[in-house]
Amino acid sequence: MSGSSNGFRRRSVRIPDGVDLHARPAGLLVRVAAQQSAAITLHANGRDADATSILQVLALGATGGSEIEIEAAGGNASAALDAIAALIETLS
Amino acid sequence: MPSAPGIVLVSHSAKLAEGLAAMAREVCGPDVVLVAAGGGPDGTLGTDGSRVAEAIRRADQGAGVVVLADLGSAVLSVKACLADGAADEADVMLADAPLVEGAIAAAVAASIGADAAAVRRAAEEAWDVRKL
Repeated sequence: MSGSSNGFRRRSVRIPDGVDLHARPAGLLVRVAAQQSAAITLHANGRDADATSILQVLALGATGGSEIEIEAAGGNASAALDAIAALIETLS
Repeated sequence: MPSAPGIVLVSHSAKLAEGLAAMAREVCGPDVVLVAAGGGPDGTLGTDGSRVAEAIRRADQGAGVVVLADLGSAVLSVKACLADGAADEADVMLADAPLVEGAIAAAVAASIGADAAAVRRAAEEAWDVRKL
């Protein structure tokens, strides 16, 4: 199984300048997170968010140019990390 | 894929309910049926039990319906509507949540495969998530 890596993965990604993690992209992020086999948690501004809770994701208050740390636990954590990181890094 | 729970938004204001439904659709995508039930019988500010009942019927896709209401008599209208059996054919739950935050949370939860009970819980989580 290529790309499979059970366990726990963590990565920091930067939100593109000038793009905040506002409601519409947060909704997209939640839908992508819900499709993953891993449980995904986001950290920013000293807060934690379950990536499948839109209210928690919005409450991060993550703004353009800032870093978000993504943690994926269980399932295919590596694939989950890649999917969420790609989404955040290409927000426009 | 089985259908998602439907969501009904009850407000004293038709504009508020419709605007919120549009906002929630923008965030949750096209797969969730959101029905606005705002305003009184004559188009004034108020609530209308028959409009709520009709909205519940329209929102019911077979996976249950979660209803959110703004304040006071909107909540009472929904409870009266459910007590009357006006929407008996649907499996309906009234969520105890702030309307805007609850609607967005409910709509997104419904879009990712949550059942009606989990959609209601997502709406009610709004009490616990601070904005600041």
